[in-house]
Amino acid sequence: MYELFIAPLTETYFQKALIGGAIVAIVAGVVGCLVVLKRMAFLGDALSHAMIAGVAGGYLVMKLLFGAEAHAPGMLLGSLIAAIATVALISFVSRISRVKEDTAIGIMYTGIFALGVVVVSIFRHYIHIDLMHFIMGDVLGVADSDLWVSAFVAAIVLSILIIFFRHFQLATFDPVMAASIGLPVLLIDYVLTTCVSLVVVSAVSMVGVILVVGLLITPAATAYLLSDRLDRMMWLAALFGVTSVVGGLYLCVWLDSAGGGAIMLFCTLQFLVVLAVAPKYGLFARWMRLRNLVPQQVIEDILTTILRYKKTTPLEIVQQYVHSGKEITRALQRMTQDGLITGSDKGYTLTENGEKEANKVLRAHRLWEAYLEKIGTPEEQLHPTAHKLEHISDEKTVDYLDEKLGTRGRDPHGQTIP
Amino acid sequence: MTTERRIVIDVKHLTVSYQAKPALLDVSVQIESDQLVGVIGPNGAGKSTFIKAVLGFVKPDLGTVQINGKSAQKAKGEVAYVPQRGAVDWDFPITVKEVALMGRYQQIPWYTTPGSNDYDAAFSALEMVRMQDFAERQIGELSGGQQQRVFLARALAQGSDILLLDEPFAGVDAATERAILDVLERAKQNGKTLVVVHHDLSTAAEYFDKLILIKQRMYAFGIPQMVLNEELLSNVYEGRLRIFSDIIKKGDT
Repeated sequence: MYELFIAPLTETYFQKALIGGAIVAIVAGVVGCLVVLKRMAFLGDALSHAMIAGVAGGYLVMKLLFGAEAHAPGMLLGSLIAAIATVALISFVSRISRVKEDTAIGIMYTGIFALGVVVVSIFRHYIHIDLMHFIMGDVLGVADSDLWVSAFVAAIVLSILIIFFRHFQLATFDPVMAASIGLPVLLIDYVLTTCVSLVVVSAVSMVGVILVVGLLITPAATAYLLSDRLDRMMWLAALFGVTSVVGGLYLCVWLDSAGGGAIMLFCTLQFLVVLAVAPKYGLFARWMRLRNLVPQQVIEDILTTILRYKKTTPLEIVQQYVHSGKEITRALQRMTQDGLITGSDKGYTLTENGEKEANKVLRAHRLWEAYLEKIGTPEEQLHPTAHKLEHISDEKTVDYLDEKLGTRGRDPHGQTIP
Repeated sequence: MTTERRIVIDVKHLTVSYQAKPALLDVSVQIESDQLVGVIGPNGAGKSTFIKAVLGFVKPDLGTVQINGKSAQKAKGEVAYVPQRGAVDWDFPITVKEVALMGRYQQIPWYTTPGSNDYDAAFSALEMVRMQDFAERQIGELSGGQQQRVFLARALAQGSDILLLDEPFAGVDAATERAILDVLERAKQNGKTLVVVHHDLSTAAEYFDKLILIKQRMYAFGIPQMVLNEELLSNVYEGRLRIFSDIIKKGDT
């Protein structure tokens, strides 16, 4: 136990990874909620890739102008500029041309990423950037400066989001209303995108280009499955971010694997578990709901069976006419609750309401039968086809049939149409 | 009530164009208080541009829109907007109460949180549309009519005297349509002016005090019997006369 859980905690690299990862995960989770709700998930991807051009640019400028080697703040500023420039280009292209936004994102970020790659390779004698590091990140080698930068970014972004929570909420949920009460919707959008850029930029050196998107989206999506309020969703997303980092880091130590990869793997598994068991929006809950759903068809079949039987109907008769197996018991329960039938030990009787409903179905059935006969359906198919069609019994359809048939009183078997 | 009615929306010679094509051309309308006004016209007639102009979102090429005597751009929040059902993300993590509370956001300064009076206002707005029992529900769990009522409550909580509704009857069944109409009528009796974009000509005469018929330019503005006449409608909707004879009969009754 000690070996597994406590020993890693005494290592400095592990502590730093834990602290740095947790900071990034919290702020990414919270911002990620808005990203998910605004359907901008792809944008995080774009930003993180476009950054490399900025990193290279920042590196070059600092080196050529000031002679500083691998100047971290310079590269950070460069990547921020690149990220914001990408967003500006995307919205510019999608606004003025026929090209839609998702395509514009695809064009711009690959283009700027490519620019970065080309620049890095041309100036490979000046720039010492490890592209692999950029793509995969190195959570176990977090430098103190990285920690400070991410803590600073997290403080700023979280403050903005907390102070202007209502503004972000309204502008995301209903931008028209937001604009109508005078909120600067466009500015709010820009602030949000800048926040996303900041988070991405500050997190890339730890978890890498690809995984930062996961940290932005997955905890937020996990929280989305569990909450019906934005503030709770944000709390949960932050929590899931932290658990991903903690779980992922242990995984990485135990398996001796890549740090960033382990974190995202844990994060994704966490999402899948929640997806399966979430009480309201989970797959299991949905399956249960579907299972408990009594098909309208069964209800209608029971109604007409009792109506045709004319008196209190024993369960065996219902089972004989309604071919639906296990659902019958549940359907009968539901119908008793809804006041369509009353049950006693002798059997089931229709209530007034139930009789009305039953007559509606019967009327639909007989009208369909008459209609089927009119369009030349073979006689032996009349009843079974009408039995299927009788469930299309909304008023408009039935009235149409009635009108089309010239309001006749009898169906093909000579029975009255109620 | 029938004495002095104020003019709350005053549109004069409103002309708006997109790339040299007029979306609205010389529209002048004066809407008085305490009325239920329907905006009708075919698709692409400029109804949504009209809404945007009243909300102060578009800059007219010519003409003015005044809300309570102020230019629409300056009268932010004096017109409460109820969006089309299709324009709302019903999966958004938000409860009925929170939507109603949004009506109060304009009054709450950015540095504080909503106070108890804000919650009270939101709740009484929900009571007005009889949705108080659903306050804690997520909005996607409601029926179409209930959803519409929640947004109506938000508009009421906003405290504006003018409500702008974008096709509130689209995609709801007949019973729900009735229920929504009842709420609109009640809001009107409480001194609200309601401007409703409406699609269904067959119910227009019955629902509204006045109708505005637009297709780029304004074809008619007045009581339904006057607006729903055969010549005007066939002009605006280009033919399809048979449908209209029915409507016009209804308009006469």
